[in-house]
Amino acid sequence: MSAYDEVEIEDMEWNAELKAYTYPCPCGDLFQITLEDLRLGEEIARCPSCSLFLTVVYNAEDFADAKEPAHKPGPSPVAVA
Amino acid sequence: MEAAAALGAAAAPEEGRGEEEAAEWAWSWGAGTDGQLGNGGFDDHHLPQPLLLPIRCRGRVSLVAGGGAHAIALTSAGEVFTWGRGTHGQLGHGNLDNVPHPKFVKFLENHIVTCVSAGWNHSGFATDSGQLFMCGDGSFGQLGTGDNHSRSLPFEVAYFTSRHVEKLALGMRHSLVLLKDNSVCGFGSARRGQVGKCTSRNEKSHNVPRIIDGFGDVKIVNIYANGDHSAALDEYGHLYIWGRALIGQHDNDQPWSVFPSLSISQVALGWHHALLLSGGELFTIGVYRHQKCDHPVPGNVVGQQSKTSATSSSHDGSSSVSTLEKVPCIDGEEVVQIASGTEHSALVTGSGSVFTWGWGEHGQLGLGDTSDQVVPQRVNLTVSPGSRGIYCGSGFTIAVDLA
Repeated sequence: MSAYDEVEIEDMEWNAELKAYTYPCPCGDLFQITLEDLRLGEEIARCPSCSLFLTVVYNAEDFADAKEPAHKPGPSPVAVA
Repeated sequence: MEAAAALGAAAAPEEGRGEEEAAEWAWSWGAGTDGQLGNGGFDDHHLPQPLLLPIRCRGRVSLVAGGGAHAIALTSAGEVFTWGRGTHGQLGHGNLDNVPHPKFVKFLENHIVTCVSAGWNHSGFATDSGQLFMCGDGSFGQLGTGDNHSRSLPFEVAYFTSRHVEKLALGMRHSLVLLKDNSVCGFGSARRGQVGKCTSRNEKSHNVPRIIDGFGDVKIVNIYANGDHSAALDEYGHLYIWGRALIGQHDNDQPWSVFPSLSISQVALGWHHALLLSGGELFTIGVYRHQKCDHPVPGNVVGQQSKTSATSSSHDGSSSVSTLEKVPCIDGEEVVQIASGTEHSALVTGSGSVFTWGWGEHGQLGLGDTSDQVVPQRVNLTVSPGSRGIYCGSGFTIAVDLA
């Protein structure tokens, strides 16, 4: 079986809750790859809900000793004016 | 006579209600872990389940929009119901809860909504007065509000207050709007060209709507978005596509007229494929990405077809190789509506039969298993007395009797 798709790391979103970079999976869940995976040179992001996986394109040197990205502002529970 | 009538009247309310609840008119199937099946649960289902739209909506649903893991139903009275994943506020109920049953969007109760669309984690609602309301994930600017905030209540997009919104179509991380003055606007992720030309190479998204040029003088009648793809149909049935490559290898940041010899009436976009309905014939372009390496021999094939037949590239408007494929006809039945999830497809025929094909791992084909199918397969639903609508979200499918 081959990868569902190939995605650049900059198109993935850091998810602080999952502690992983994520990208939408066609099943509705998220492909995930952890910072630890990236430090180890792993290129596969898996979806916990299905058999599909992604190839992640990134520069290994950028992640050799990478820290968790800054937390992006989350959704606000009320409308922001 | 009188006694019998009285007896009948006494018995009627209970029986009547029971019958009404039992009579099925809206169904869903496929991935359900975020409540997107609207059946009250959080599980996948491989066969059609009753979709719990209120009984007062029966015969009044005009459209259902499916997103990544949420859905929006619009009634002919302009009411809106949402259900499924709410983690980014995409349900518009003012919180971030997942809701496993259709829930009335109270915020919009004083508006008559005329068009809705669902993206991966965002939602849009256009009103009869031409206003546009958006909610959900805004991190790519896909709400068009001039910032990258997410919103859990529908928020009016200021850019459109002095313009009249007719239609909208939301993709994974972008949004398209068709205005009454015939212009098409885009906002959100611009990485694959899906919202038109960027002003600089470094621009990855924009959070304020911008007009997409390149349609000439023709009248645009509909717009479509899914994944990183965008498309529009003009009054002659000519198709324009832009964004991530559906044909050939290259993304396009401006509308590109394709298959000019076809007069297309309906379009449904997936993440790597699209369906085109033209003169009663159904075509697909692109591929079902997940099964590109294996083409299982079709089992339980409907009709007399053996394999999908690739047509020559004579329809292609460019020099690149076309992948226009004709979907085999279904026992001479007319295709009246098409829909596409990320990697599966669905259609409904003139007699109300529903067919599905493509990726089936979550039961999104509704055939009772998780197999993939390369040609349309009949879903076991009661025959509809009137017209039936078919709609897809990423990994799920919804069928609703419209009258």
